[in-house]
Amino acid sequence: MEYLVEMKNMTMKFPGVVALDKVSFNLKPGEVHILLGENGAGKSTLVKMLSGINKPTEGEIIIGGKSYSHLTPKDSVENKIAIIYQELSVVNELSIAENLYVGKLPYKKIAGMKIMNRKYINEQAKKYMDEIGIKRSPNTLVQDISISEKQQVEIAKALAADAKIIIMDEPTSSLSIEETEELFQIIEKLKKNGIGIIYISHKLKEIKQVGDRVTVLKDGAYVETRDVADIEVDDLIPMMVGRKIKASHLGNEAEIEKNNEVIFSVKNLTRKDGTARNISFDVRKGEILGFAGLIGAGRSECMEGIFGAKPISSGEIFLHGKPIKIKDTYHALKKGIAMVTENRRETGFFQNFEIWREISVTMNLKKSRLAGFSGLVHDKDEKKMAEEQVGRLNTKCSGINQMTVNLSGGNQQKVIIGKWLAVNSDVFIFDEPTKGIDVGAKSEIYDIMRGMADDGKAIVMVSSEMPELLSTCDRIIVFRNGEISGVLTNNEATGEATEETIMRAAVAVD
Amino acid sequence: MTKAKFKSFWDKFGTLSILVLMLVCLSIASPKYFLTADNFKQIGLQSTVYILLAFGEFFAILLAGIDLSVGSVAALVGMFIAMMLKAGVPIPLAILAGLLIALVFGAVNGILINALDLHPFVVTLGTNTIFRGITLVVSNGSPVYGLPKAFKDMSGYVFGFPIPLLFALIMAVVLILFTTRSVAARNLYALGGNKQSAWYSGINTKHYTLFAHMLASLLAGVAGIIMTSRVGAAEPTAGDGYETFAIASCIIGGTSFFGGKGKIFGVLLGGLTIGTITNGLNILNVSSYYQKIVMGALIIGSVALEKVIGNSVKNS
Repeated sequence: MEYLVEMKNMTMKFPGVVALDKVSFNLKPGEVHILLGENGAGKSTLVKMLSGINKPTEGEIIIGGKSYSHLTPKDSVENKIAIIYQELSVVNELSIAENLYVGKLPYKKIAGMKIMNRKYINEQAKKYMDEIGIKRSPNTLVQDISISEKQQVEIAKALAADAKIIIMDEPTSSLSIEETEELFQIIEKLKKNGIGIIYISHKLKEIKQVGDRVTVLKDGAYVETRDVADIEVDDLIPMMVGRKIKASHLGNEAEIEKNNEVIFSVKNLTRKDGTARNISFDVRKGEILGFAGLIGAGRSECMEGIFGAKPISSGEIFLHGKPIKIKDTYHALKKGIAMVTENRRETGFFQNFEIWREISVTMNLKKSRLAGFSGLVHDKDEKKMAEEQVGRLNTKCSGINQMTVNLSGGNQQKVIIGKWLAVNSDVFIFDEPTKGIDVGAKSEIYDIMRGMADDGKAIVMVSSEMPELLSTCDRIIVFRNGEISGVLTNNEATGEATEETIMRAAVAVD
Repeated sequence: MTKAKFKSFWDKFGTLSILVLMLVCLSIASPKYFLTADNFKQIGLQSTVYILLAFGEFFAILLAGIDLSVGSVAALVGMFIAMMLKAGVPIPLAILAGLLIALVFGAVNGILINALDLHPFVVTLGTNTIFRGITLVVSNGSPVYGLPKAFKDMSGYVFGFPIPLLFALIMAVVLILFTTRSVAARNLYALGGNKQSAWYSGINTKHYTLFAHMLASLLAGVAGIIMTSRVGAAEPTAGDGYETFAIASCIIGGTSFFGGKGKIFGVLLGGLTIGTITNGLNILNVSSYYQKIVMGALIIGSVALEKVIGNSVKNS
């Protein structure tokens, strides 16, 4: 059988990282080929090669009988490839019909001027809209239609471009059950017309519903391609994960529970915007509590709510058994709660501060009575404290007068941790603490966290990297779709925590 | 001198160099009139209002924002005080009330910026016109004059030194101490450097935005009092367009428009520079129409110069 597209040994190297390693993939006309893998497995990297965004380091793409070392965006369009991203790219201010022809509007010339032929495009658009089942006038502005309709407009746009290959990146992530059903019916129609669909999804149950074949990627490497008819959904999870991780601390939970008191509890916390709902958990002294889940599952959102950075609608927070009110981040700081955020550049450090000023911000606030409005700075004490933190965390810098912005990612992270150690916080929330940090610095950060736990602090760690959760945490809470979907430890009752059990709780299997 | 060394020299003494250069040029151009003790007093007096407005503006720009309403606040506070004095309110009480009003106007700016999450440019562009409108309404468009002698004497001389300038210098010392020694000012610098990081470090960004704009208006109010005392009357159109001078003083004084960087001492020199140019051009008989062109060119020139120096260091 002729393939619509064949990708052979696709490799993508970034400095220091191999994002994709000799991955092969093909697509037949009239099939839905599912691309499966956890965050960072390389799915997006692969499809971006088809849309011409990524230029592969090695590999061959055969399409329409021609061989390419890489596709340009122009090649991609000429070869009838359309991609529908999770973030839809429709133009809200234009009508449905205009959206179908963005960038290539049919026109007629009147007195030498190009005038849009509205009648013609409306007629044409209506044809594609009927084919998909969009029950709207072609003149409707896209801003007035629902998200699922916008997605259908994108599909119609692909048809208008005569697409032979349509790539859908998590198309059901913001759709209701009924809307999902509608989408699947549209996909059936597309298949009948001989269009091949590359379907990226986390939702395992959809694989059986919509897929013909499935290819699993893991850590940028090819795992296996199977016919959906021959597999059980459960078989796929071990393929997606299955690294051998030494879960060195996960057994300690029983010990901790026996000896250490609960420092910090959250009860029924719900964020005002609903991104995290009914969250309850305890953290014991000396414990590192991990938070696993897919990106967008609501973990960071929950932590921002606890820290007072974003509003919550309900929920109670207890520190050392006493209820505390956290109205804003200043209250969190005063009560001894620290948060090391995910994006250092945006929410972590100050571009205009040296290391010592950076570290002393929290200290000055803590000492001050009126939210920092009272009190004087004491440069000498601050510099001494900064020296202490820099030394304690083994931060590599030319001195405390160096600007934080000029440090490497790992050392910036250490300065931010130092900022919170300087006020001797009891509870530390780390959100993706090793994001964008090189391997050596990562293990240093793990050691710092463990050291802090041993000093009696309660540590919360949000991470999308399962291996680091398994190797660092004493207990792991899994989030799915804004709620807690599982708690994993290594005790007898729950069995062994592995990447597989985390993944099962994080994705919707049933 | 290497380029990097020149850059660090310029960072420290750039504004001073511009001022000195200006003084030297004007002294050569008009030694008879410019280079006299009386004229320097005159420059000091002329600069005072610019300096005080610029001190207020500094705090708005420090937060990567701006306050376009300082000129109107000065006029409105001046007008209120003049009307109170005419009604027989004792001077200290009138001044206190005037400053209180200034704080209220600053709070209006700050609250609008916080509540609507708008850029200060938009908010203060609006309030600038509103405050000016209120001034015109309460005064019915005509100046209030015939103020008590004691109030006018406030802008006289003590031991031959102009009191307003003395006051501006004292304010400069107070504000230098505040910006370098207080936790509150350190937090303003942090907020100006990165608003989100400030919020995630425990700084209540809304409270501090409000604080900065109240401070900006308070200082504008002080400028308004001095302006009214010097003229001996409150003009409803007084200080119109002075926000340009205030902003220019900050920029020439090395305050970064991106926020989080700047020094009060630089702003003081910036204000003196603006006063010197105005005075010098007057002495050289340059028409006030041309003065505007020179002023604009200087604002762009001083920032361009800094950029050129910065880039040449980066590229070397």
